[in-house]
Amino acid sequence: MLTKTEIESISGEVGNFSVNLTKQPRYVDQDLCVGCGACAEKCPKKIPDDYNTGLSKRKAIYVEYAQAVPLKYAIDDRYCIKLQKDKCGNCEKVCPAGAIRYDQKPEQVTLEVGSVVLAPGFKPFDPQGLDSYKYSEYKNVVTSLEFERILSASGPTHGHVTRPSDGEEPTKIAWLQCIGSRDMNKCDNPYCSAVCCMYAIKEAVIAKEHQGDSLEASIFFMDMRTHGKDFETFYDNARNKAGVRFVRSRVHTITEDPETKDLEMRYVTEDGKIEVEKFHMVVLSVGLDISPELVELAGKLDVTLGANRFADTDSFSPVATSREGIYVCGAFAGPKDIPQAVVDSSAAASCAGQVLASARNTCIKSKEKIEEKAIKGEPPRIGVFVCKCGINIAGVVDVPSVVEYAKTLPFVEYASENLYSCSQDTQDGMAELIKEKNLNRIVVAACTPKTHEPLFQETLINAGLNKYLFEMTNIRNHDSWVHKATPDLATEKARDLVRMAVQKAALIAPLAEAELSVNPNGLVIGGGVAGMAAALGLAKQGYPTHLIEKSSQLGGKALALHKTWKGEDIQENVAKMIKEVEDNENITVYMETELASVDGFVGNFTSTLKGKDKETTLEYGVAVVATGADESKPTEYLYGQDERVRTSLEMDKLFKENDPALDKIQSAAFIQCVGSREPGRPYCSRVCCTHSVDSAIALKERNPDANVYILYRDIRTYGERELLYKKAREAGVLFIRYSVDNKPIVSVNDGNLTVQVKDHVLQQTVEIPLDALTLATAITPPDNSKMAQFYKVPLNDSGYYVERHAKLGPSEFATDGVFLCGLAHYPKPIDESVAQAQAAASRAVTLLAREKIFTSGTVAVTSPANCSECGVCVSLCPYSAPSFTTEGPFAGKASINPVLCKGCGLCVASCRSGAIHLNGFDNNQILAMIDAL
Amino acid sequence: MSEYAEKIRGIAKKLLDDGTVDMVIGFRKGTMPLINEPCFVKDAAKVDALVWDSSCGVNLANYLPKRKEKIGVVAKGCDSRNIVTHIVENQITREQLYIIGVPCTGMVDRRKIRLAVGKEILSVSEADGKITVTGDGYEEVLDKQEMLQDNCAICIHRNPVISDEVIADPVEEQTDVDRYADVKAVEAMDPEARWNHFEQLLDGCIRCYACRNACPLCYCPTCFVDESQPQWVGKSVDKTDTRTFHFLRAYHCAGRCTDCGACERACPVGIPVRQFTKKLEKDCKELFDWEAGMSLDVRPPLDTYRPEDPDEFIK
Amino acid sequence: MADWEPKIVAFLCNWCSYGAADLAGVSRMQYPANIRVVRIPCTGRMSPKFALAAFRKGADAVWVSG
Repeated sequence: MLTKTEIESISGEVGNFSVNLTKQPRYVDQDLCVGCGACAEKCPKKIPDDYNTGLSKRKAIYVEYAQAVPLKYAIDDRYCIKLQKDKCGNCEKVCPAGAIRYDQKPEQVTLEVGSVVLAPGFKPFDPQGLDSYKYSEYKNVVTSLEFERILSASGPTHGHVTRPSDGEEPTKIAWLQCIGSRDMNKCDNPYCSAVCCMYAIKEAVIAKEHQGDSLEASIFFMDMRTHGKDFETFYDNARNKAGVRFVRSRVHTITEDPETKDLEMRYVTEDGKIEVEKFHMVVLSVGLDISPELVELAGKLDVTLGANRFADTDSFSPVATSREGIYVCGAFAGPKDIPQAVVDSSAAASCAGQVLASARNTCIKSKEKIEEKAIKGEPPRIGVFVCKCGINIAGVVDVPSVVEYAKTLPFVEYASENLYSCSQDTQDGMAELIKEKNLNRIVVAACTPKTHEPLFQETLINAGLNKYLFEMTNIRNHDSWVHKATPDLATEKARDLVRMAVQKAALIAPLAEAELSVNPNGLVIGGGVAGMAAALGLAKQGYPTHLIEKSSQLGGKALALHKTWKGEDIQENVAKMIKEVEDNENITVYMETELASVDGFVGNFTSTLKGKDKETTLEYGVAVVATGADESKPTEYLYGQDERVRTSLEMDKLFKENDPALDKIQSAAFIQCVGSREPGRPYCSRVCCTHSVDSAIALKERNPDANVYILYRDIRTYGERELLYKKAREAGVLFIRYSVDNKPIVSVNDGNLTVQVKDHVLQQTVEIPLDALTLATAITPPDNSKMAQFYKVPLNDSGYYVERHAKLGPSEFATDGVFLCGLAHYPKPIDESVAQAQAAASRAVTLLAREKIFTSGTVAVTSPANCSECGVCVSLCPYSAPSFTTEGPFAGKASINPVLCKGCGLCVASCRSGAIHLNGFDNNQILAMIDAL
Repeated sequence: MSEYAEKIRGIAKKLLDDGTVDMVIGFRKGTMPLINEPCFVKDAAKVDALVWDSSCGVNLANYLPKRKEKIGVVAKGCDSRNIVTHIVENQITREQLYIIGVPCTGMVDRRKIRLAVGKEILSVSEADGKITVTGDGYEEVLDKQEMLQDNCAICIHRNPVISDEVIADPVEEQTDVDRYADVKAVEAMDPEARWNHFEQLLDGCIRCYACRNACPLCYCPTCFVDESQPQWVGKSVDKTDTRTFHFLRAYHCAGRCTDCGACERACPVGIPVRQFTKKLEKDCKELFDWEAGMSLDVRPPLDTYRPEDPDEFIK
Repeated sequence: MADWEPKIVAFLCNWCSYGAADLAGVSRMQYPANIRVVRIPCTGRMSPKFALAAFRKGADAVWVSG
């Protein structure tokens, strides 16, 4: 990992790039720094903390935030007194590891790589230039990012919502949307930033959670864009349950009361009234911006940017930049939220990996194996190592007394202190001591096992001990660092913690890690765009891939679509994709085939594929579910009764076939949210606003004199799609908003089709005669219950699959070895489907590339004699690890597949019969710790 | 009531005769009045032992787990719900059972009757909602409704929820009962009063585990109270151990208890142990809109993992 | 009662709250030393038995976080 490093240039071409980098000095030797923070404590220079958006101070020597990786300090040379004026030098004096290097200079580094992924991110829009909101002048006007820090438990106010002017708790907060987005007048960002509506609602809800009902939270918006999975429900709950107020208005100016520092806003309500309202605090929901530095970088790398300074990509290769071999992910390729950025990042990894596939498993170094000593039957001989961590622990806790105390505990054979337990020489020394004293259980009292457990386990392995014969207790982060004022109590606590760890250690046993080989075949279910993209992703990385399609044609729903929002011809591209799939020798296509059974688990699935007239048994290691979704057929607005009423796809058919009927349309309307965002189907179908806007433009282009109307609830042309909305308005498409409790009425009188709708601007009902009416109907999933049972994966209330994690695991299931992409996950346009398919392939390859899976030793095991067969574990496990044994002496009893078990212990705690044990955290071990209190 | 008994005998005879089942589990007269015993009839000639009256409180579902043969079982509303729970929890299969459903008007509490008459009871008969108690030189007529077990008095599922044959027309379900008056009273107490309440409640417990043994939900091969590695509960009647037992037993019944009253009926010292299970029953009703044993298709709420489970308690 | 100090046993999920306690340390947030932490792999591992066991061992409060 190269930090503080920038790209200067990239030469060469795909498969063979030379990347020139400049590594800026950290002024701290990264290998020596232990992250103890003694330097920052003694640094006299206080400067505004960028991470907390300047709301608090940090020192000139710093880590950016507590979770920073690597957790190594750096000197900010713009402020350091030593580097600026050659005075001070405190940090060098106090650094117990001798890691300070004032003489570090920028370094040039060259890397030879096959492909490059750009993930430079975005910059929050800076509202200082907006006169009307006086962000720099009024203290109580903050940006959403500042508010985010105020809400954070690790932020400047520890999550307590206070306003900057006086530190008082505000009871009235307003959020203003689209600051630096959808705005060509005050700034140059015509696009929608896609994430701000959702984060503003989230901030409002959390602020109300922190503050209670006394807080009045109001969000001022133009269109509420909650188009993500489960976002609409969140919006509904914010409005109806949390009591967040939503005001549809763009606020023009804010003025400050000079006395109270309250903020007065004047705005126009939906029915045209002017309101004046006071708030204690105003949050500007700032958008996503691409900085000039990034524009410059793109220029240096010869990567083309679009009109809005985002990287230019194609819908069918959504993470490829204009330069072959250079890929892009995250907001640099367009405004997007976390799930989409995570999808793109996996997709970029997949594409970058395709280039490198031929070089897989070269440049690998392997380690020498040390024979593990059998300790079965030996009484525990515990070694306790108490770390001083320089002065980090020893400065508060009386370490020698803790060592002396440890020596008195049962089974403790040896106890000593270390200056730095994690340093290489100490590790070597510990390994020697383990051998010399014949220790068979090791306790280290030091910092946190979350970062250091693997290191010490390595030491055990080097000393010939099973790595699970280790227990760590945290006397730094949980003790010396947080109880500085009470050293006696901290020492007492350290003794208690050591006693607890020793008691547990006496009961721990060596654990085995099972090994399992992975079948390299991949199965992709569904031959639509997502399925084909996933299959290509696997095949191009060299894995035999089996693609099954239930119909007689590849292409799925895309076959009915006309153009992408970027204007690409879909039929042309899908045809290209089908050819590529058919030509790829790693891909076997099974047409008119469905999945009939699934057995096995990650790495070792077996399925029966049921074809038209034959059945095939397939063994494979991973499965990608890409079963898609459908356009729903409406039952309202005279659909099916009048041939002029069509769904969006039926309208696309006219465009695709260049039907002359289109030229006869003099008056056309689109009704949005037909079957979406309604009580029975609360989600937003995401694609329909853009689709209708695009089709409306196409109609206008064919016949500029035609009247084209879009009847909508909120226009959700998120991201750069917003430019289409702008284009449509400029082309004269008329947008009329309706509310869900006052839907348009469609009727036929004397053969004349008309729609009646209440115009929100005129505040009266208008009647529009129509030649064509397009219904933007909801996208609905097919019945997925059978597949869900096959792979033991969950479905949500709407019938879509539930991914492993909404943000961090959007393209995979909690069940190992099963992945997800396309509309089976949630409605989405082609570019996002392709990206998610590539992401699913990427995630699948991380498994296939391993060839062998090693299970953790920390897994649950059952004792069949105690099992009552009640099935709680089988029902409860989110990873489907437990199942009933089907044969042998324990038939009917539950057993746990160690490959699938994540070691969470849910089944153990839920087993009434005490028949399940969790290795490493078993009942007797945890009880021993409690007993030692 | 005698027509109920006749009906049960008739069905039992038919089932045994035609080999539909290997055994019928019902009730026979106990050796003492007011306590009928479970009866296992394997021979069609012996069906006459089967009886039915308001002293058939024992929950016969308790005799089903892990049986291998085909069984005809007499089931009241609560018994049927426990049978459902057993099927869901793999203790017996639906195919093994022939459920003889009995619409129930509640079982009488022998302690209430004894208290009401205050003398030794030699025989009991019932008709038209009246219980006639006779003893040495006396006869007393009591109103059945007033003598019901506490759980029966507030029961809202008197008719079997699952059966192969029901012996009579359904009885009217009670609707205007407050199922949780006692729990609410405890919830309303301040911590000190609540502490004292539970201390008094469990004061007489002798840790005989009769409540556990009578409960159809307690079928584990080894109960946690008998585990020694680790030992969760001490073996003495130490107050802490007694509380640990009762609390954990209640947790094990959470989302599964049908409030059949078996535990209270079995308690030799008369502790109203349903107070614990009912608190959790109320919570399951409020949080998950759940009543145990109503459906073969759904597992109890605490057995299932759903991302959308209520989590208002996490803040 | 004036100098009475409660004994608090905390069962913390390895992945979130235990890490949060680590971060509290990195941030040098100061808090009273009355807590003893038992690290568990997930709050799903938490059993009512542990809470009762801690109370039996004299804990005044049991804190489960995850």
